[in-house]
Amino acid sequence: MAFVQHSTPKLMQKLTIEASLNPNQHAAPELWSEGAPCYRIQFECMASDCSMLVESHRVDLVIEAAKKAIIEAWRIENTFSRYQSDNTFAVIHSQPNVRQTLNQETAQLMLFAHHAHQVSGGLFDITSGILRQAWRFNGSDKVPSQEQIQALLVYVGWEKLGWSPQHPDQLCLPQGMELDFGGIGKEYAVDKMLKLFLSIFGDVPVAVLINGGGDIACSGPRLNGQGWRVGIESLAADHTSDQVISLSSGALATSGDSRRFLLKSGVRYSHVLNPLTGWPVENAPRSVTVAAPNCVNAGILATLSLLQGNHADAFLKSLAVPHWIHPTNT
Amino acid sequence: MAVAVTNTMKKNHELAKILAAASCALVGGLSTAHAEESWDVDSAFLLYSESDGRVSAAEPVISATRNYDSETSLNFKLVADTLTGASPNGATPSDQVQTFTSPSGNGSYSAAAGEQPLDDTFRDTRVALSSNWAAPINRDWAYGVGGYVSKEHDYQSLGVSSSLSRYLNQKNTTLTLGLGASSDTINPEGGVPTGLFQVPEDASSSEFTQRNDSESKSIMDAVFGITQVVNRNTIMQFNYSINTSSGYLTDPYKILSVIDDDSTGNNYGGNYTVNNRNVYLYEKRPDSRLKQSLYWQTKHQFENNDILDVSYRYMFDDWGVTSHTVDAKYRFRFNNQYLEPQLRWYTQSKADFYSRYLDSSAYTEVDFASADYRLGDLDTYTIGLRYGYQFADETEFYTRFSLYHQESSGDDGYGKLTSQELYPGLDAAMLMVGYKF
Amino acid sequence: MSKRFVLLSLVGVVITTTGCSEMGVKAWERETLAQQEMSLINEPVESSLNDHVYFSKEASSGGQGFGGGGCGCN
Repeated sequence: MAFVQHSTPKLMQKLTIEASLNPNQHAAPELWSEGAPCYRIQFECMASDCSMLVESHRVDLVIEAAKKAIIEAWRIENTFSRYQSDNTFAVIHSQPNVRQTLNQETAQLMLFAHHAHQVSGGLFDITSGILRQAWRFNGSDKVPSQEQIQALLVYVGWEKLGWSPQHPDQLCLPQGMELDFGGIGKEYAVDKMLKLFLSIFGDVPVAVLINGGGDIACSGPRLNGQGWRVGIESLAADHTSDQVISLSSGALATSGDSRRFLLKSGVRYSHVLNPLTGWPVENAPRSVTVAAPNCVNAGILATLSLLQGNHADAFLKSLAVPHWIHPTNT
Repeated sequence: MAVAVTNTMKKNHELAKILAAASCALVGGLSTAHAEESWDVDSAFLLYSESDGRVSAAEPVISATRNYDSETSLNFKLVADTLTGASPNGATPSDQVQTFTSPSGNGSYSAAAGEQPLDDTFRDTRVALSSNWAAPINRDWAYGVGGYVSKEHDYQSLGVSSSLSRYLNQKNTTLTLGLGASSDTINPEGGVPTGLFQVPEDASSSEFTQRNDSESKSIMDAVFGITQVVNRNTIMQFNYSINTSSGYLTDPYKILSVIDDDSTGNNYGGNYTVNNRNVYLYEKRPDSRLKQSLYWQTKHQFENNDILDVSYRYMFDDWGVTSHTVDAKYRFRFNNQYLEPQLRWYTQSKADFYSRYLDSSAYTEVDFASADYRLGDLDTYTIGLRYGYQFADETEFYTRFSLYHQESSGDDGYGKLTSQELYPGLDAAMLMVGYKF
Repeated sequence: MSKRFVLLSLVGVVITTTGCSEMGVKAWERETLAQQEMSLINEPVESSLNDHVYFSKEASSGGQGFGGGGCGCN
């Protein structure tokens, strides 16, 4: 996904963010001028290049709001990262088999995961992350044995958690199970960034679009009333089927990744795993982009549609949500 | 496998609605751990009660902090306290009934033979409001400013404070300079008595009619502190502070007994009398005081998340008082509860002009004198236990119970006085209940 | 492999024993210190109530912060 831009950007400054608020030591975000009153802020988060496009006559607020939003994104990244030894994720997993109290943010994420699990008939399951220990989608042909998969499936299953929506902050995590918030983390961060960004401006006019590595949310139309022009890249090398859409409200999210697959005996296994069988979903589209009122909503719909395999298009059509699908065959 | 697909369109609409609602709840909710400009309120109520019907106090506090970001905050605190009960007036017990003029001069109270003379007219209500603002200047500097006002029926105080902090060594070291000033006004009941003057029989005396209505004192504070992060679980602070007070530092309600030291007479060690009246003098303290203190505190969090908080303070002043204070707390932390035992030990040596009583042969020659046990040799002990319960919505209920014990000591006197208890101890119990939201 | 391990740990010991100048932590090691419970005055309301009691019952005050005052109780 890319933005269509027609101006000569100029680097204005690097935004200094206190080291304690940058736990993963990202490079300093850069503020670029795209010709007043347009600004672009480039930053790194969750292993993606991210950016914000802002239209405002108050550059001071742009800087303040951008910093706050980036700090929030980095906080979320660090909180739920699987690679930290002392974050919320690590704390939850360090206390298996006992009742523990989750913080409010985690409890809210659990509630969301619960709803998604319910409505998807179990296809969306944040406990399924450990299946990746068997499946390595690096383009190779290594398909795990059924025994391997069965051994891991013991630790997969939302209903095996000691958790109920009546007490979303109380959790008993069975030993060996893992909660993977990565599937909704990026979209969640984008929505939170937008919300925080707008709170700084209050009543001051501003238009902003946040791009978290392909997951996008905007505040509304641009100051001139037009939509944001967002390009949806095709997966073909020559970008022949690139589409440019106009986004004037809400969010876009994309699920799927062309580089992550397994090829065995002529069957292309997508990286989308069915938590009920432990096997990849067959004939899933390469990627799906969905538009929805917020990024979390768009993201979950895109993910659920991939889980429908070759019924993805029919599924999205039945929901009557705008969507763009890159089919399996290239 | 593809369960949803087999369902009807209607069912999928339902699904879309649920997911839209769930995502709105997630994103729109108050769920961020990020302190998004909200008020954090800590409200508490303290009940303080001394044994033997001495002072009891009720003290509600409400403190509200608005956090603009991790370093910028505004705090307001309102405290009220109501004191009732009796407080030692400074006179020694006696083998005779003693009658004392009340502070206003319009009445009297007495102490039975052998009983501690307590002024039971002691009653006060105080209201204090303070505010503090703290914010960064840039990445290396931060500042804070504050103001304070308090009012009692016989005392008013107005204060300001400011601080400047410099972060060094990647914020592992913080140097802080704090300055404070306050201006207090004392307008005692019955006016300001004349120090070391004999307590008159009633308000018709010329000592009363010549009194000033009020006096004042001013206080300056300076604190220089170093805070050092030792490792990822330990932080340490070292402060040097200096405090000067000048003006009226005397307690207008405290008196001293004059004891007959004529060892040949039969009143040796009894209250000295002139014209058949016991002689009691109003106390008088120097009009300036310079206190200095060294303070060290360390906090350490163990692998099991428990926290140890230990501090030591050494204080000395130009009145001759030196003191040592050791305070230790250990917080056992459970999932959403904690239990914190606390211990404190304090010892002080007496001020140079402290005297439990004055000798009849020399009382006219002293420059300063006070029999206030708080300026005498004193050891105190506090043992406490705090318990807190954190609810899922991040509010907290807490309570603390503590016992406070004081032991005074000093010269036991002579003659008849030796049979009197000159240094009674004091026990107090404190119960605090609070809620943070 | 094991040889390299030993060497590394020896280096570690040297650093920690000579390391007063190495005091402090990196920004990403502040998870514990950033907890509200680890701030030096983590219960300001309790501290102020205690300070008030001790101020009115003892000859010393202050040290951690300002020396107190603003009260006719001493």
